[in-house]
Amino acid sequence: MTQTITFTFNGIPIQCEEGQSIAAALINSDQRELRKTRFGDEPRSIFCGIGICFDCVVVVNGVANQRSCLIEAHDGMKVESAQ
Amino acid sequence: MIIVIGAGPAGLAAAEAASRNGSEVALIDSSSRMGGQYWRHRSKVTGYRSNRADEIFAKVSAAQSITHISEANIWSAEREGNLIRVNYLQGGIESSLTAEKVIIATGAYDRTLPFLGWDTPGSMTPGAAQSLLKGQGVLVGKRIIVAGTGPFLLPVATGLAEAGAEIVALIDANSPLRWSLSPLALLTNIAKFSELVYYARLMRKFRIRPHFGRAVTTFANGVATISAVNSGFHIKSGKSQAMRADVVAVGWGFVPDLSLGGILGCAQRVDSDGTVIFEVDENQLSSQPQIWIAGEATGIGGADLSLIEGEIAGLAASGQKIKHALLTERVRKQRFANALKRSYPVRDGWREWITSNTTICRCEEVKSQEIRDSVSELGAEDSRTSKLFTRAGMGLCQGRMCSRNVSEIVSGITQCAVTDGERIAASNRPIAAPISLGQLSDGKNSR
Repeated sequence: MTQTITFTFNGIPIQCEEGQSIAAALINSDQRELRKTRFGDEPRSIFCGIGICFDCVVVVNGVANQRSCLIEAHDGMKVESAQ
Repeated sequence: MIIVIGAGPAGLAAAEAASRNGSEVALIDSSSRMGGQYWRHRSKVTGYRSNRADEIFAKVSAAQSITHISEANIWSAEREGNLIRVNYLQGGIESSLTAEKVIIATGAYDRTLPFLGWDTPGSMTPGAAQSLLKGQGVLVGKRIIVAGTGPFLLPVATGLAEAGAEIVALIDANSPLRWSLSPLALLTNIAKFSELVYYARLMRKFRIRPHFGRAVTTFANGVATISAVNSGFHIKSGKSQAMRADVVAVGWGFVPDLSLGGILGCAQRVDSDGTVIFEVDENQLSSQPQIWIAGEATGIGGADLSLIEGEIAGLAASGQKIKHALLTERVRKQRFANALKRSYPVRDGWREWITSNTTICRCEEVKSQEIRDSVSELGAEDSRTSKLFTRAGMGLCQGRMCSRNVSEIVSGITQCAVTDGERIAASNRPIAAPISLGQLSDGKNSR
């Protein structure tokens, strides 16, 4: 039986199964836009899914440029879109 | 000790083979579970001949001389006298490991081509859709177009359909008639027909109709443009149609990750399809002593070939005898791999699909027009100079996504073919994975 955990994304509570990546949890909760780009302010989401492209980077507990496709979500984690 | 880098088919086969005579093996992988990108799974591997995965997982887990170091991202490697040191980050802590011998089996990732809208949410690689489904249990969308070229589109489309998605279309830009160019490869790999039958049955079950000679050329607001293309990938005018989809998963074969072998000075060459790969001898030994390379990094060939190359590398590194039959088997699989390259080429015509406003470098948000201007206005004569002017390829991914495409766009404007030297230079990077200066300067945990 997998445990359900809760983390926040830009302040919104997101529930997911323990062991899921941040990106998987967000896509599953219909949060497709993970960040806006620095120059064009364009929405970006998961692209390569395996940690190569860095399009899905988010701020995790204050640490920037974390690949949400690789990092497991943990209970109480604070995830934010980068600027 | 032998360090095996990567726990996909090639790395697992290498570790298992090396452990047969009791050699100490450290199997290092970035994932929490073994299997690599090919056997991605949450609990149990499913799909075509998944029993092969179960067998090798069991052997590797049971081998007492294999230590599996998971969730470790190797960011560099260096020689120290007769030893090779591998530096990695695990849970934010920098560690390193030294050994006399290294087997590199770092695999490959999806090759992508730019098109208008490929950078908007909903557009992704088939590998991303697959990894979210198999590795995470998450379906990326409800109405999905799977497109690009190559046999990998089949497991992706059928897997997504099986999980409940509607596959709006399965689109390959190449014609299946291209297989007629490789009769010998087909005849010597008859078993591949059963794989085709396996997918054909699934496609019929989920009513997935394949389309050939077409490509996704734009994607915006849930609508994809499907253009008819000829064998050179040039768009046939007046033959495009719009399809509604919330996800387009588009991939054009695979690119091997050469970073670590490149850092260690292993010689590379350009394969028949323009992909940069490592030079290896018949025992999978690279140009560098004590470093063997197996799997996609020595030429894209799929899991079957990777398993055999891994086994050969593992036997060679541990000083065991390699049976002639294994080498013959590799020749047979390589013949099939070459047929795959012939059957699913990526032709230059894609450069006409992009508009002036198409993003080429996703990280630095460089548009096609900026690259064009760097050549025609600023006088860049090769992709390296163009990259310096535009910052294309200088973002977080270190050009892994766009480097090859930038080279080919610049070559299209200058009318000078991309040289092998340029291809090799564009495939190498000084650091294999990102590491912060803080982590670099903190104390090391050595073992």
